[in-house]
Amino acid sequence: MRIHKLSDTIASQIAAGEVVDRPVSVVKELIENAIDAGADEIRTDIRLAGKELIRVSDNGIGIPADELELAVSRHATSKLSRTDDLFDIKTLGFRGEALASIGSVSHLTIISKLDGVDAGARLSVDGGDNSTVSLVAAPTGTEILVEDLFYNVPARLKFLRKDITESRQITGLITRYAMAYPKIRWTLTQNNIVDFQSTGSGDRFEILQTLFGTQEAKSLMPISFKDRNLAIEGYISDLTLTRSNRKDITLFVNGRWVQDASLTAAVIRAYNTMLMVGRYPVAVLFLEIPTHLVDVNVHPSKAEVRFREQEDVFSGVQRAIRRGLLAYTPVPDLASLNLWGRTKPSDVGDMRFDNHWQAMETSTETEQVQKRLAGPASQQQTLPGTYLPLLRLVGQVASTYLIAEGPDGLYLIDQHAAHERVLFDQMMAQYHASMTPSQQLVEPLTVDLSPEKAGTLEENLEILVGLGFDIENFGANTFLIRAIPTIIDRGDPREAILSVVEAFEEDETPLLNEAQARIAARVCKRMAVKGGQSLSEAEQRNLLLNLEASQSPRTCPHGRPTMIHLSAGLLERQFGRRGAR
Amino acid sequence: MKVTVQQQQLAHGVNIVSRAVTSRSSLAVLSNILLKTDNGRLRLSATNLELGISAWIGAKVQEEGGLTVPGRTFVDMVSNLPNEEVTLTVDDRTQTLNVKCGTLNTDIKGISAEEFPPMPSPDLDNAIALNIENFKEQIQQVVFAASTDDSRPSLMGVHMTFDGNTLEMAATDGYRISIAKSEMAQKVPQNFEALVPARALAELSRIAVNGDESVYMTFPQGRGQVIFHMNDAELVSQLIEGSFPNYGAIIPPSFKTRTVLSTAQLLKACKQTEIIAREGSYIAKLDIQPEVDGEQSSLLEISARSEQTGSSEVMVDASVDGVPLLISFNIRYLREALEVIKTPTVSLETNAVHTPGMLRPVGDDHFSHIIMPINTAR
Repeated sequence: MRIHKLSDTIASQIAAGEVVDRPVSVVKELIENAIDAGADEIRTDIRLAGKELIRVSDNGIGIPADELELAVSRHATSKLSRTDDLFDIKTLGFRGEALASIGSVSHLTIISKLDGVDAGARLSVDGGDNSTVSLVAAPTGTEILVEDLFYNVPARLKFLRKDITESRQITGLITRYAMAYPKIRWTLTQNNIVDFQSTGSGDRFEILQTLFGTQEAKSLMPISFKDRNLAIEGYISDLTLTRSNRKDITLFVNGRWVQDASLTAAVIRAYNTMLMVGRYPVAVLFLEIPTHLVDVNVHPSKAEVRFREQEDVFSGVQRAIRRGLLAYTPVPDLASLNLWGRTKPSDVGDMRFDNHWQAMETSTETEQVQKRLAGPASQQQTLPGTYLPLLRLVGQVASTYLIAEGPDGLYLIDQHAAHERVLFDQMMAQYHASMTPSQQLVEPLTVDLSPEKAGTLEENLEILVGLGFDIENFGANTFLIRAIPTIIDRGDPREAILSVVEAFEEDETPLLNEAQARIAARVCKRMAVKGGQSLSEAEQRNLLLNLEASQSPRTCPHGRPTMIHLSAGLLERQFGRRGAR
Repeated sequence: MKVTVQQQQLAHGVNIVSRAVTSRSSLAVLSNILLKTDNGRLRLSATNLELGISAWIGAKVQEEGGLTVPGRTFVDMVSNLPNEEVTLTVDDRTQTLNVKCGTLNTDIKGISAEEFPPMPSPDLDNAIALNIENFKEQIQQVVFAASTDDSRPSLMGVHMTFDGNTLEMAATDGYRISIAKSEMAQKVPQNFEALVPARALAELSRIAVNGDESVYMTFPQGRGQVIFHMNDAELVSQLIEGSFPNYGAIIPPSFKTRTVLSTAQLLKACKQTEIIAREGSYIAKLDIQPEVDGEQSSLLEISARSEQTGSSEVMVDASVDGVPLLISFNIRYLREALEVIKTPTVSLETNAVHTPGMLRPVGDDHFSHIIMPINTAR
């Protein structure tokens, strides 16, 4: 066989294979062009999953009649001129391949009109052969028709999935771009039926609702993060909304939808073990990174990107999500905790006695209401249904973990993290209710600190008192602990105080923006049972019971998971009881 | 070694020492019980290095020697033997203990007796003799107040003060103090203090049989240990190093209010209240009401409430001498102290909301119990 040069037609068909491999990639190229053209309205019409017709029309700047022919030729673009531009790409497209590639595998028609010009121009490309440009009447903007896609590449056609799959992908694409560009009015029709429509109001949540349904959208919470070279906006699911695959993790980098496995992994890792094994979060994230720090020219379809400072980006993503998740950890509800002073006093008994209770209650309730109104508690959105199911204690392992059985499998619970959560909830509830009973100590405990640390402690003394510590400065840098919160029933209170001051600066809990929550978290961390302490059965049971009452039982106040859930299904699969046989 | 013993005696001895056997230890021999002939008797020993217990039982010794055998196996084995003579034979070559009893013939693999940690022997000439019955009661009056939390080791001990012919014992978990005094038959040659693990004393009171007249207590020189010696048992414990709270300074010199109650009635009221209070950090309010002329007799009202469980109020007849007071205590502390008070009436002495309360049996000044209050108002 002799070596010969490929004909232009075959060469462009091969090249087209990289950019255009299925209808959805045609749509992607076309809407990206429309976005780059500055359109604020983009309409997409699809027939027969794009095999028969793809029409994308926009009201962007349009293409001048004399440039039309150039536009459909290979490596022709208005978006790039110098090599340097390639490393600072601000538009979605830049390779100058799309129209040529599409033209080589379909009947392509472009109709475009500039603003202020009387008539539009029309150009048809048929399997790579151009027709002449003719003048037509047209609205301002560009309309591109792709008919009979892959008519001349039967192999491609054969490898397309079912129509329903292909058209779903197109819907998915349009809705995602609609989220990335909420100010553009999007319309998508499939076989003349409106499939998706957005108002162009700029409200992303509105589009989220269309995409996920009102119910699920409620479980999505907005996050926002800004760092030196990275800004992240978007929505992430709380712990109640999960998927069995990663498909609903949607990532945009500088307005471009990317499917980057490592970035997706960063998102999943941010959820760590807060989710059950085999479940994945839903996330829509928009990353803005200075263009010179991103290389989008990795793959013709531009679905992959490379970051110059990859670690920074990944850790940024993780921090943003983590912070978002923890900020939405709901404030414990007093009603769920074992406290005094909320229920109505019983009718029986001595009147005088009741009055005494009553006096206490009224003050508590008013204060509480005030606190709720004023404090961040009222601003924080409550996550629905994160309660644990009823658990049956199985036992303790390695003096560190509790094993419990729930209706949906097995729970491995870290006793330290769980106790931390329980203590924290109780302490914060008491704090917000201004009801912090404290047990006096037989002998006051002294804490000696360095002058610097003493200063830190002094500043936060009032909060500690509010949390139930009776602590005072005993001259110089010595403090006396006279009483401790009653909920603390083990551990050395001195260590709790020390831990409050010790790492006060390098705070690991950015989510808790209130000083008292931060201090409470630290105290609880110190005073909670440690791993390696064997607990009596009653203690284990009690811990489970209290954890069940918690509104956010799956993480400790510092955001680490308290439990790992092994679902019945997972166990079945692992033991080969289901599936493989 | 070859000895013949009675099954009942063997079971008794094994039961005593088994409490010192560790199940989780890197040192295999610590999970074992030592069997050794000792002056015509059979000595059984076990230790976890902090606490060691030995017991001696009568035996017909045919051949001297010894071996250690796995504690768990031996305990189960012995308790299932028929009540007959048991012949124990050690095969030194295979380190195996042969147990013959009735028709049963068992071999248990063991570890050489050489590997068992040596137990110190008491110097009985310089021992302090204590009446077992009194000492046991004294232990029971204080051990419950000791801390079980190992983050503050010194509070896990019972503080013993030997002063002339009195022995004062005190234990605290940082929130309450139990103090019990007793008189000894003889004076100690020199006053001194020691901090003995509460666990060791609890074990001692379990194994000390009232039939024994005295328990002899010695502190081997420079070893940081205490040995309690009885006729057929011995307990060795490490002492706790560390400072014990100066509890003498905590007892208020005087009280404004003295409430005298029936011990049984108050205990019952505490138990009733605790059912509710335990859901709310055990907090109970005590409302002490002196007599109001012609209107109301004096009484004590105990109440508790919990968000989950509900609320509870109970009244106890009391003779109140002093000013009224509303004070909160951990109800469990009250209950536990009342449980060791044997007199029919008890006094509760108080000053103010933020100062400790003291429980004392009326007519017996050997015991006092101090409870720190809970501050609820803020």
